[in-house]
Parts: sequence; structure tokens; C-alpha cells
Amino acid sequence: MNTKSRGGLTYLRLLVLVLASIFLAQGWGGGRYNISHSLSLFFLSPLSPSERIILFEIRLPRIILSFLVGGSLSLGGGVLQGIFQNPLVDPYVLGISSGASLGAVFAILSGVYLGYFTVPLFAFGGALLSAFLVFYLGKIGKRFPLEILLLAGVGVGFFFSALVSLGMFLAGEDLHQLVFWTMGGFWNSSWQKVKMILPFLLIGVPILLSFFRELNAFLLGEKVAESMGVEVEKVKKWLLFLVSLLIASAVAVSGVIGFVGLVVPHLVRLLGTRDHRYLLPFSFLLGGGVLLWADTLARTILSPVELPVGIITNLLGAPFFIYLLRARKKNL
Amino acid sequence: MKRYLEVENLSFSYAQRKILDKLTFGVDQGELVGAIGPNGAGKSTLLYLLAGLITPEGGEIVLGGERAKHLSRRRWSKKVAMVFQEIPPDLEIPSRELIAMGRFPHLGRWQREGEIDEEKITWAMEVTSTSSFSDRMFSELSGGEKQRVMIARALAQEPELLLLDEPTSHLDILHQLEIMEILLQLRREGVAIVAVFHDLNLVSQFCDKTLLLKEGKLLSFGKVEEVMKAEEVEKLLQVEFLETIHPFSLRPFFMPLQKINNNPSRGRVHLICGGGSGSRFMKELLEAGFSLSLGVVNQLDSDEELARKLGIPLVQEKPFSLFSSSVVEEAYQLAKKADFIVVVPTYWGRGNLPNLDLAERLVKEGKIVLILEEVLNPRFDYTEGKAQEKLKKIIEEGGKVVKDLSTYLSASS
Repeated sequence: MNTKSRGGLTYLRLLVLVLASIFLAQGWGGGRYNISHSLSLFFLSPLSPSERIILFEIRLPRIILSFLVGGSLSLGGGVLQGIFQNPLVDPYVLGISSGASLGAVFAILSGVYLGYFTVPLFAFGGALLSAFLVFYLGKIGKRFPLEILLLAGVGVGFFFSALVSLGMFLAGEDLHQLVFWTMGGFWNSSWQKVKMILPFLLIGVPILLSFFRELNAFLLGEKVAESMGVEVEKVKKWLLFLVSLLIASAVAVSGVIGFVGLVVPHLVRLLGTRDHRYLLPFSFLLGGGVLLWADTLARTILSPVELPVGIITNLLGAPFFIYLLRARKKNL
Repeated sequence: MKRYLEVENLSFSYAQRKILDKLTFGVDQGELVGAIGPNGAGKSTLLYLLAGLITPEGGEIVLGGERAKHLSRRRWSKKVAMVFQEIPPDLEIPSRELIAMGRFPHLGRWQREGEIDEEKITWAMEVTSTSSFSDRMFSELSGGEKQRVMIARALAQEPELLLLDEPTSHLDILHQLEIMEILLQLRREGVAIVAVFHDLNLVSQFCDKTLLLKEGKLLSFGKVEEVMKAEEVEKLLQVEFLETIHPFSLRPFFMPLQKINNNPSRGRVHLICGGGSGSRFMKELLEAGFSLSLGVVNQLDSDEELARKLGIPLVQEKPFSLFSSSVVEEAYQLAKKADFIVVVPTYWGRGNLPNLDLAERLVKEGKIVLILEEVLNPRFDYTEGKAQEKLKKIIEEGGKVVKDLSTYLSASS
């Protein structure tokens, strides 16, 4: 009843915040804010051709991409925390980050070239490879016991990370490229990258959101959920598969960006939303907004030098999160 | 009422161990069945099988005429709901939302909750009296309130069969009775209920039928009055019980008897008692390491019942009858073997006066006869002073008046 109308209100607020963020971020560049750049979203006329390229071929896709990646990571984190009933789970728990890194390292070092998308494609492949390896190792009979799955994720992650380190050690002059990739960022954003991940989002996000009742039931424990009609093992399988696709596509275009996927769902919970009907979409919107702002800071704060966005998310996000935690003094 | 649940030759094994062995029974609509059994008897496993959470090794479950193994998870959950033993950890969810989760099997993936759902949730909350705290967080509720919310959640599924695994085990007596009231209400509405209980008396007071489960086998199943007998329950739980009739519900009521240190080493005591006065002393003396004998007592006297239960040798007379001389002679033979004769406070009438003659005879033969001081109180005497005279005589012959039996006995040995 009142929780429903409150949910609707929060929806509206978040949407307004996201749109305002896109508007404001469009005006930020080269260390300065320029309102005419923001307004150019509505009035194209006064722009010169070079300005138009900067604003619409470089800045806007980057803003959109950071929003979509932030949303995917946070949604994925929220879903996985719901499946595992564990607050420390992040979207990389299935070894996806190290798998993607290994794919990227392989692409960069081997010199394979399949066009513009070479590195993202290999990263995507590596991410999926690690996720399926974890499923395979974590499967017992027809079931996926959560502890085994978590441990398999940790094991595969360490193994792939070791291979990444080995690759870096042997990289020579390609090293800086590898380091940059593993730090994560949106330097080379383009509409093509947006198009690359959009299909995964368009399919994955609505289906994941539709699982809110199952995830709510998981709050009561797997046995209770099963008795209520949830086909627990089947649901887990589907959710893990969809989250893996979503996260793999996000990592493929942005590298490994930490913290957002772990923390944003908790932020939403700390703000009083535990019902997955709202928790999941709010996580997506808030996560997108957070990463959008983090990237705007990353590209403007030390202009003309750009920081990897992961540094910003960790540097500012961690203290803020700890502050919230202490202020609420409530269990996650 | 119509038969709802049919269980035939149901078996289940885990890790090569037989947990349930060929159970067969049936439950009608509007019938409340209480399952009892020692730990590890397979009670929870039975509920899990009925809820479809585990697959039987053999046998058949039929729910409302449908063979359960063909049911989808969702269909099964529309027929059967379960309340688990563990209450979930503290959840920051308003109780009403938690209860509403029970609508899951009735809602399609892309379907919104509608009016029917609202109605069913309201009904579930009314039956369980949870409406008053519908907006409060589950974590803030008391144990009894939490359990009622969990039951309401199960009811939101609109089950035809409700399963409950020890729904009262964490609750105090008031809240236990609240839960039982809810079950009785559901029973009147035609829901079939199978619940596991630890408390025999909750089952004997409230349930229609009982299912006694031991080591995975059905020891017996049937109406409470027919199945719940002391011997049967003792066989089930390996504890001795005193069975009486609950004065109000007229159902059987069971009192467990304490396990008593049974290696008498300090001699034998013959008790002269009756009308329930002896029970306190039986316990005290047995615990102190004495063996006992008893008599004469009338049949159906509560002292007689307890002594028989405890296996104490005794001499008995027909109910409400004067002790005959042959019976008193028998008691004399028994009492002669004792080291002490103890007379405890009991009402004296014409019928049991021969017990005092017995004591007199024994004290004259040099036996140690102890009379509790309280016995001398004239209020116990309904023989116009005859009992008082006899007691005086016994004391003259050497009977000792003691204030407190245990101090005397511990000093004497």
C-alpha cells in the first residue's frame, strides 16, 4: 500500500536524477562546466562541426556507456547477493573479472586482430569461459550448492589472475596497455560499444527484474522458497546465466571496475528498500548514475589527464559507504 | 469429510540409511493430525516428502485425488504449504509483505497482484491475528508473532493441506495455545493439517488423530483416544508416563515420571500411606537409595497407581473397602522384610484403621516404626479418636515420632 506509492516516488526521483545527471555531465569537459554543451542536447544549431563530434560522438556515448555499465554491474551485484544470501558477494564472484582480464591480455599480447572489437570480444569470451568453468566445477549432481559455487569462483579467479600476472610479467612494452585495461575505464567509448552491449541489456535486464518474487522468496531460505513454488535450482541456473552474460558484456567494454556492483545494492538497502521489486531497478538506476558521475570526475578532475574511473569509485565510494554504514548502524 | 491425503508405502533413504519405511495412512479434509516420535524418527522427513521438497524412494502420495509425483512445483505449492521449524533470520521486511510472498504460486511472472490476492492475504492475516502489526518489521516482532506471520505466509498459498514442523517448540504456553487455536480454526474451514509436535499433551488435547513414528516406521496411527495409551507412548518415547484424563477436555493426559536412581543400597522401607500422601515420600526415599514396599492401599488410590507404575511391591484391597484380615496378613508378611516402617500423614477412617494395627504388631516385634509428627494432628482422624489412641499405643511400644524423615534417615545410616 504505502510502500507501493513510496516505491513509485523513488522511481520518479531516481529517473529525474539520472536524466539531470546526463544533462549536467554533457556540459562538463576539459575541467570546466559549459551550460551550452548541456543545452546542446536540445538545441543543436549553434554548434560547430568539431564541437558536434566532441559532444555527440565522444562525450555522449561515454556518458551513456558508463551509465549502462554501472547499471549492469549494480543490478548483477544485487541479483547475486540475493541468490547467495551473502552481503559480500559482488558481480565478479564467478571469476568473471579475471576471465575477462585474461581474454584481454591474450588479445593484446598475441596481436590477434579482428577489427575494432578485438579486445572486447576476447574479454567477453574470457569472462564467459570463467563463468562456465565455475558452473561446471560448482555443480554437484543437478544442484548448485552455493558454498561450492562461491569457492569454485574464488579458485578459478585466482588461477586466471595468476595467468594475467604472468602475461603482464612477460608483456614488455605492452604492459601499460594491460595495466590500463585491468584498471577499467571509458577512454575509448563509442556508439559502437553501446550497440555491442545493448542487446544483452535489452534482453537481460527486464528478465532479471522479473525475478523479483523469486529473489524475495530466497530471503526466507531456499527450502521455504521451494515450498512456496520456486524451482530453486532452475531459477539459480537462469539467474546465474543471465547475470554472467550481462556482466561479461559490461566488463568487455569497460575493463574491471570494482566497488559499484558490491556497494550500490547495499546503498539501496540502507536507504530502506529490501523488496527486490524495487531493489533491483533502483540498483540499476543508482548504479548507472554513480558510475556516470565517477567517470565525469575521472575525466575532468585532473584535466587534461584522465584518471582510471576505478580509482575514483574506490577513493570516494568507500569512505562514503563506510560513513553510511556507521550512521545507520544497521545490519546489511 | 472427504479424504484429502493418501499415503501408500512411502519410503525414503538417505546415504543408504532407511529414514522412512513403507508408511501408509490417510488424512481427511478438516482433520488435524499430530505426529509424535523421538528425535531422528523421520518426522521432518515425512513433512518434506509431503511438501514435495524431496523425492520418495518408493511409494505414492495422493493429494485430493491427484498423484503427487506428476505435479509441477507450482501446482504442488498451490495444494500444500509448509511452516518450517526454523524461523528465518531477522528480516527488515514489513510483516504484510512477508505474508504476501505466499501468493507466489498463484502469480504469473509478468502478473501483478490483484484483488483476489489482497483478499487471500487479508484472510490469512485475520485467521492468524496478524493484522494489527502488518506494517511492523518482521525483525521487531516477538517469537509468537513471528511464528504467526510464518503461518499466515503459508496460508496465503491457500493450501488444502498445511504442514507444520514443531510450530510450538520455541513458544511459551500462552503462545502455544494461540497456535493451536489457529489450527483448530483452519480445521473448521476444512484444511487438512499434519503437524509435528514434541508435546504429547498438545496432541492429545487438540488433535483428531495421531501418528506415532519410531525409527522410520509407523508405530500406530488413528484417533487420539484409541492410539494414545500409556504403554504405546512409553514404547515410542522410552519414558515412563502416568496417564490420566484431562478433567476438562476428557482427553488423555500424560505426565512423565522422573528417571529414578534405581540401585537401592540403604535398606528397605515399608510405607503406610494412602490417598496420594505417599507419593512425595516414595520419590524422596527412592532418590535417597532405599527400596520400598507399600500397603495396605485401596485399588485406584493414587498412591496405589503410582507405586504400581514404579514397580514397588504392594498389597492392595478392593476400592473403597474395609481392609480384610487376609489382606492385612499379606501386608504383614511384606512389611516384615523391611528395615523401617514409616507411617505418613493420611486420613484415618474405618477402612484403613487396620493399617495402624499392623504397625502396632510390627513395633511389638521390635521393628523400627517411624511416625511422622504431622500424623498426630487430630484433623486427620475420622474415627472419633480411635486412630489417635492406636498411634499413642504404637509410640508407647517404642514407635519413634520424627519431624522430618530425610534428616532422621540420613542420621541413622
